[in-house]
Amino acid sequence: MRMRRRRHGILAARILLLLIGLVLIGIPFLWILLTAFKYPVDADASPPVFISPLTLSNFRALFQDNYAQSLLNSVIITALATGFTLIVGIPAGYAFARGKFRGRGFFGSFLLFSRMVPPVIYIIPLFLFFHFLNLIGSFTGLTLAYLTGLLPFTVWMSASYFQGVPVELEEAARVDGASRLRVFFRIALPLALPGVVSVGLLIGMAAWGEYFIPLILGGFGTEPATVGIVDFIGVDGSSWGPMAAGALCLIVPVFVATLIAQRSLLEGLTSGALKG
Amino acid sequence: MATDAEPDVRARNPDVRARTAGAHVRAHIDRHFLAFVSWPGLIVMLAVTAVPFVITIGMGFTNYNLVQPAWRFIGFANFVALWHDPQTPRIVFNTLYIVIGLTVLSTALGLLLAVLMRTAFPGIGIIRSLYTLPIMTAGIVVAITWRAMFNNQAGWVNYFLGLLHLPQPLWLGDPHLAIPVVIIASLWTAVPFQAILLFAGLLTVPRELQQAAEVDGAGPVRVFWHVTLVHIRPVLFIVVVLRLIDGFRLFEQIQVLTTGGPGIASTPFSLQIYNTGLLYQQLGYAAAMGIVLVLLVALTVGITFLVLPRRI
Repeated sequence: MRMRRRRHGILAARILLLLIGLVLIGIPFLWILLTAFKYPVDADASPPVFISPLTLSNFRALFQDNYAQSLLNSVIITALATGFTLIVGIPAGYAFARGKFRGRGFFGSFLLFSRMVPPVIYIIPLFLFFHFLNLIGSFTGLTLAYLTGLLPFTVWMSASYFQGVPVELEEAARVDGASRLRVFFRIALPLALPGVVSVGLLIGMAAWGEYFIPLILGGFGTEPATVGIVDFIGVDGSSWGPMAAGALCLIVPVFVATLIAQRSLLEGLTSGALKG
Repeated sequence: MATDAEPDVRARNPDVRARTAGAHVRAHIDRHFLAFVSWPGLIVMLAVTAVPFVITIGMGFTNYNLVQPAWRFIGFANFVALWHDPQTPRIVFNTLYIVIGLTVLSTALGLLLAVLMRTAFPGIGIIRSLYTLPIMTAGIVVAITWRAMFNNQAGWVNYFLGLLHLPQPLWLGDPHLAIPVVIIASLWTAVPFQAILLFAGLLTVPRELQQAAEVDGAGPVRVFWHVTLVHIRPVLFIVVVLRLIDGFRLFEQIQVLTTGGPGIASTPFSLQIYNTGLLYQQLGYAAAMGIVLVLLVALTVGITFLVLPRRI
C-alpha cells in the first residue's frame, strides 16, 4: 500500500514537471500570439498588459511595408532550395548507400567535415564570387548558398534510408533485366519514400528559417521574411506588435506542417542525428 | 530492357541486336550508374563548400578588403594582428562560454526531459509533440521573441520577477548577463532537441537489463547511472558533439538578441567574423579569424572525442 502510494506520488511529480516544462516552452509562443493582435499602445506597454482589445492593425502595418513580398520570397527560396537539394542530393545519397564507386571514402569524410565547419567560412568567399558574378540578391545565388548546409545533410540522411532498402530486391529486378535507373525509380525510391519525405520536410523547414545566408547574400526584392522582419526592430526597439505578427506568419506554416507530419519529422530528426 | 550492360542479360534479350547509338549511351550510363548519380551532387557540394573553404584559408593570408581592390599575400600578419588584438581574448572567452554553457546545460536538462518523456500516461504523445515545436521555430523568431521577453520595460521576465519581489536586472545592458540571456534563449530550442534524441536513445535500453539490476538490489538512481546512462553513451556522445557544432554557429540569437553587446561582452567568433568581414569589409582579416574558428571547433570536438566515452 505504501509502495503504491509512493509510486503514484512519483507519477504525479513527473507529470507536474512535464507540465511546468511545457509552460516554459509555451510562454514565448503565448507572447507572440497575444502581442500580434494588440494595439501598439498595449504591445509596448510597461508594465506589460496581458488582456487587451484585439486588432489586426499589426498585420496591416506589416503588409503595407512589403512583408507580403518577403513572405513570398521565403516561399520561393524554400521551394527552390529544397527542390534542387533533393534532386541532386537524393541520387547521391543512393549512390553513397550502395557504395563501390571511385571517391566514396573521400565523399564520406567530406560529408562529416562539412557539417563541422561554421557556415560563415563558406559564405565569405561565396559573397565575393557572387559579387563578381552579379549574383548578390538573386534567387540563383541564394539557392546555391543554401546548398552549403542542406546538401551534405540530405546526402547523408537519404543514404541512411537507402541502406534500409534490401539489396536483394534490387538484385532480383536486375536479374529480370531492369536497368539501374529503373531499379532506382521503381524499387529503391518508393521503398525509401517515407525517409525521403522527412528529409524534405526537415530541409524545407531549415530553408524557411534560414537567416544568416540571406542576410549577407540577399538583396532588395529577394529578401526573405526572416530578414525582412528585422526591419521592424525600431531604433528605440519598441514596435513589438508588427514584429510579433511577422513572427506569427513565420511560425504558423511550420507548425501546421509539424502537426500534420509529426511522425515523419520525429523519425527524421532522430535517425538523422543517430545514424549520422 | 535492352539497356542492360551485363552480357548474360543482354544475350537473353533479342532487342539488343537492334541497338542504336542512344542505347549504347544508355548502356554506358547503366554500367556506371552509381558514379553518374553521385557526381552531380558531389560536384555541386565541392563547389559550394570545399572550394569556398580553401579560398577562405588562402584569403586568411592576404590583406584583401573590399575598399581597395589591390591585395597581396602578407604571410601570417593577420594571425599576428589577431594575436595582439585586444578584443581577441574576450571573443575566444565568449565563444567558449556560449558553446560549453549551452552544451552542458542543454544536455543535462535534455536528459532530464527525456527521462520524463518516458512517463506512461494518457496524453504523453501530445505532450511530446508539443515539446518539438521550439525545435521547428526559426532562429530569428527565437531571437526576436526573447529580445521582447528580456526587454527592460515591456518584457515579461522582469514583470514576473517583480511579482516575486526579486531583483529586475537590466538583462541586455549588463555585460555579465548578456551571455546568460543568449544561453537561456538558445536553451529554449536546444533542450527539446537534446531531449528528443536522448529519448530515442532511451528506448533502445533493454528493459531486462534495468530489471536485472533492480533484482540485484540497485535503487533507481544507481540503475540510471550504471545501466541506463552507460547504455546510451553513443547517443549522448552524438548529441553533445552536435550541440557543440551548433553552438559555434549560433548567430541570430546573438546578432538580434544582444547585438553582441554591451560593447563586445557577448560577441563570439561567428558575429565578430561577420562584423569584420561584411560590415567593415576586411575580408582577409575575417578569413584569418575564420581559420582560427575552424581550429577551435576541431579542437573542441577532438577533446570531446578523447574525453567522453562513446562505447557501451
